[in-house]
Amino acid sequence: MNKNNTQINSFSLSNDKVSVTILLVPALIFCTIFIFIPAIGTIVGSFYSYSLTSMNNWKWVGFGNYVKATQDEYFWVALKNNFIIVFASIVLQVGVGTILAAILDRGIKYGRVIFRTIIFTPMVISSVAVSLIWLIIYDPNVGILNAIVKSIGLSTPSKGWLGDPNISIWMIMITAAWQNTGFMMVLILAGLQGVSKEVYDAAEIDGATGVKAFWYITLPMIRNVLIVAILITTIGAFKVFEFIFVFTQGGPSNATQVLGTYIYLQAFNLLHMGYANALSVILLIIALFLGWLQLKSSRKA
Amino acid sequence: MSRFKIANVIAYGFVTLFSIYVLMPILVMVLTTFKSKREIFLEPLGIPSQFGISSFEKALTVGLGSFMLNSFIVSFFAVFLIVTISGMAAYVLSRIDFKINKYVYLLIVAGFAIPPAAVLVPLYTMVSNLNLLNSLFGVIMPLTAFGIPFTVILFYAFFLDFPKEVEEAATIDGCTKLQIFFRIIVPLSGPVIASAAIFQTVWIWNEFLLALIMLTSDDFKTLPIGLLKLRGEWTSDWGAIMAGLTIAVIPVLIVFLIFQKYFVRSLAGLGK
Repeated sequence: MNKNNTQINSFSLSNDKVSVTILLVPALIFCTIFIFIPAIGTIVGSFYSYSLTSMNNWKWVGFGNYVKATQDEYFWVALKNNFIIVFASIVLQVGVGTILAAILDRGIKYGRVIFRTIIFTPMVISSVAVSLIWLIIYDPNVGILNAIVKSIGLSTPSKGWLGDPNISIWMIMITAAWQNTGFMMVLILAGLQGVSKEVYDAAEIDGATGVKAFWYITLPMIRNVLIVAILITTIGAFKVFEFIFVFTQGGPSNATQVLGTYIYLQAFNLLHMGYANALSVILLIIALFLGWLQLKSSRKA
Repeated sequence: MSRFKIANVIAYGFVTLFSIYVLMPILVMVLTTFKSKREIFLEPLGIPSQFGISSFEKALTVGLGSFMLNSFIVSFFAVFLIVTISGMAAYVLSRIDFKINKYVYLLIVAGFAIPPAAVLVPLYTMVSNLNLLNSLFGVIMPLTAFGIPFTVILFYAFFLDFPKEVEEAATIDGCTKLQIFFRIIVPLSGPVIASAAIFQTVWIWNEFLLALIMLTSDDFKTLPIGLLKLRGEWTSDWGAIMAGLTIAVIPVLIVFLIFQKYFVRSLAGLGK
């Protein structure tokens, strides 16, 4: 086996350095210029204090920006909100996505493609459009959410659905779930369809059917797909931006900030470039850690 | 038997309810477009009494056509570059036995993990210094870079499973490696190219953050940034806002419905 591999490789690309260079270099150039150099720039810049307007007036502050972050209550609020979104997204998007996938896989006979298509649809709509559509649903004057809640005799929140941060973070979650659950469903459905029919037959002989069979037999078999789904959702939750940007702009009084919107605020509204860089480095560390987890899990799979 | 029926009702009930939750906002968007201001305010749950198009006329005045054209140009060039460059790189990574191969792959995975928000300030500074703010080229380049790592990973998995006999035969016939890639590998890679192109088109067509910081002039805004203008222009004129959204969203939905099989397939493959 090993010998065979070497043979294939020896006639293969390794001895054609010109081809290797031509094929590989463009990707490396793009990633280096627009991802890796800026990443290093973020780290370097996080040790300075500067603003957009005084680009040539960098002041070394050492770990000052990081110390500032630890004392900045809004940074902690943003980080906390990111974690709330991570956990809620896993429950709402992966959890409900799994239930939907299970139903479409074996629970129903008719209309599978139609249901799958409908539920997947929001995935192709831009998050800004999604946010604007939900903005009218949540609107205190013309929104249908108010109309529905009133029509069943309940009272609506006095500051509106997006005015009270304790409520608005959940409204953001409902909208995010609306957009992404279909994606999780399709991902998990692909995993379920890889489980062979014999497994279910065997389970049935052992007396495990329906929900029981799903819980004890199917779920462990699609473990890897579930891990990928959870990682994609977690990474997505740290990238959340548009919903908050459109719904609340991070307000009221920064209570709904997440890292993405807070970095944007510090950099482009307050022009604290150094501080924004330090926050970016924190996001960078979280992102690389999640990337490493993903690499590890995909190797296992 | 009756237990089976109850389970069936629950299963259909659950997917039906979820489908209503998904369809309702789209329905609200379209219906609001046709409602009069009075109807929007007084009957949020009602249907429009007539199908007026005045909201559409208003919405078009914010320049949706030009935003859409910009989005089209950015998506077309960025997706073309991403698919070409990633395919080439992934082919090399799947066919060489250099030690360096492993490190390049790790670098690519790291690139996949880094979100634009984590490099926002230096990226903005760089594009600004190159005098490329407010140009489509200035957005296409970084978007291409951010699309490459994921697409390389996608192609890499495909090329690893690719039968090598054809390449052996071509080598014996005296083809160079570049010829093999472009004349043999590319024509046989239709499905994975389609998957990658669909996935990246959805991502780039909807990309917001980089376009937001780099495109501030209306002439160069892409659709997601342009849509914000609807709200700025027509603050509480929900009919006009929803009309603009309808114009922006419906074409995408039609494309999706026609090619839904390929969309679903391209995303479903991620878990494998």
